[in-house]
Amino acid sequence: MIRFEKVAKRYPNGHIGLHELSVHVRRGEFLFVTGHSGAGKTTLLRLLLAMERPTSGKLLLAGQDLAKIRNSQIPFLRRQIGVVFQNHQLLFDRSVFDNVALPLHIMGLGQDEINARVSQALEHVSLKDKAMQAPADLSTGQQQRVGIARAIVHQPALLLADEPTGNLDPRLAAEIMAVFEDINRHGTTVMIASHDLALIARMRQRMLTLQRGRLIGDGESGL
Amino acid sequence: MSKRITPDQPGQRIGATERAKIDGPPVENTAVLAQLKAWMISHKFSCMDSLKRLLRQPFGSFFTCLVIAVALSLPMGLTLLLKNLNELGGTWQQAAQISVFLDLNAKPAEGQALQKRLLKHPSVAEVEWISREQALEDFQSFSGLGQALQDLPQNPLPSSLLVTPKQVDKAELNRLAADIQALPKVQQVQLDILWVERLVAILQLGERFIFALTVMLIAALLLVVGNTIRLHIENRRIEIEVIKLVGGTDSYVRRPFLYMGVLYGLGGGVLAWLMLLWGFSWLNESVVQLAELYGSDFSLAGVPIEDGFSLLFGALLLGYFAAWLAVAKHLRELLPS
Repeated sequence: MIRFEKVAKRYPNGHIGLHELSVHVRRGEFLFVTGHSGAGKTTLLRLLLAMERPTSGKLLLAGQDLAKIRNSQIPFLRRQIGVVFQNHQLLFDRSVFDNVALPLHIMGLGQDEINARVSQALEHVSLKDKAMQAPADLSTGQQQRVGIARAIVHQPALLLADEPTGNLDPRLAAEIMAVFEDINRHGTTVMIASHDLALIARMRQRMLTLQRGRLIGDGESGL
Repeated sequence: MSKRITPDQPGQRIGATERAKIDGPPVENTAVLAQLKAWMISHKFSCMDSLKRLLRQPFGSFFTCLVIAVALSLPMGLTLLLKNLNELGGTWQQAAQISVFLDLNAKPAEGQALQKRLLKHPSVAEVEWISREQALEDFQSFSGLGQALQDLPQNPLPSSLLVTPKQVDKAELNRLAADIQALPKVQQVQLDILWVERLVAILQLGERFIFALTVMLIAALLLVVGNTIRLHIENRRIEIEVIKLVGGTDSYVRRPFLYMGVLYGLGGGVLAWLMLLWGFSWLNESVVQLAELYGSDFSLAGVPIEDGFSLLFGALLLGYFAAWLAVAKHLRELLPS
């Protein structure tokens, strides 16, 4: 699914985001990327979203080399990926339903298809009854669930999450993680960047540990 | 607890509908039709969304349209006014008439033969022959010297031809005058070229003034619409970033703003048309009164329907172009962060 082959990312100011990272992620895997601030977690996610290109090395996503991808192909690549943000990035001028439907509108699906898929995604995050509410009327945990519903509504092959539990208390964080696990059980590859080691340890999933752009650990969490 | 499935079953992922799970890949024709339908749905969605956003801020949207309307109606109004004034003053061709005085001994048949010959000239629109008797009669009635002229032993006035050219062009008129001068029985050719030059200069000045005004106002209009669209882009920065991250193409991001520009242009165009209709109607009352004092039935023609539609189309294009420029400039700055 994902293959990093000696991928390096060096920024114009000299900062090294990633240092010759080599990792292979199989289809349907669930893994965490952890490390301190500046370790390279976000750089790794940005490279997978083609928001940045590797300085050197080869980054393959479903066989496509992201170092060489054409700009015009990037939107179509991103339609295969779901993204969950720490701060939800919800649009507060529209309803929960419209927020979740956004990727489907972009893909140009018909209204019936959109209604069915949004309904199913909201049901999966237990928010079907909140579809017509404004995101501002929801709790932080519920807002994060809306963000997750938006990330999965277009059936992505890969789900990326950047500190998805960063603003949540431990109980809500555990609930959100349970949602991610359920999504993974349905076949979606899930990659979560987080520095919440206690939470990661309880999950017993594969964990990549980064430090100053280098991979210093690759094994099951909690061991 | 959901049953775990193998990863190579993408149709089973969350959000997959029953139809998506059962159906195979669509045949090519169906895919093209579906894409076309999706494209149309997307356009409809963007257009309605832009309209709703403009209606949500009725005063702001109205004043932007008003600014566009003022910028468009000024040059358009002046152009139409100039067109009307042209009709008031008669045609430029008449102002540039050439008087051809024939020899005193030229017979009427010779004058009429010259008239026919000149009518065949490619630069000539009309030729009027004035006999010696007609010339004397006209002179007596206009000069107030009727009695004195009757005392003369013979008619001193020659027969003449009044030539109306097809075009008011200095070089062309000079060429035509030279051609006429070379004809037999022609004594003198009088072309009031100074008057023609003045008319042409006034016309050119008017046209240039309107052109410069149009260019300046279009530039101002592009800035106004562009700046308004820029503010809309700023207000929707997060939305644009999210759209880009979930797979929105640049054209998808650009679309609602282009519709917004078109709607602003359309609103401005309609307002400009209404302003011109009202302005010409208001001005016409005074013009009719003034014309009556000179014994004329002249009135302003108003805004012809084809000019009105040209105004609307131009406004729409300007709105679109201004929005395109604004979005092209700011879209690059809005990379997802």
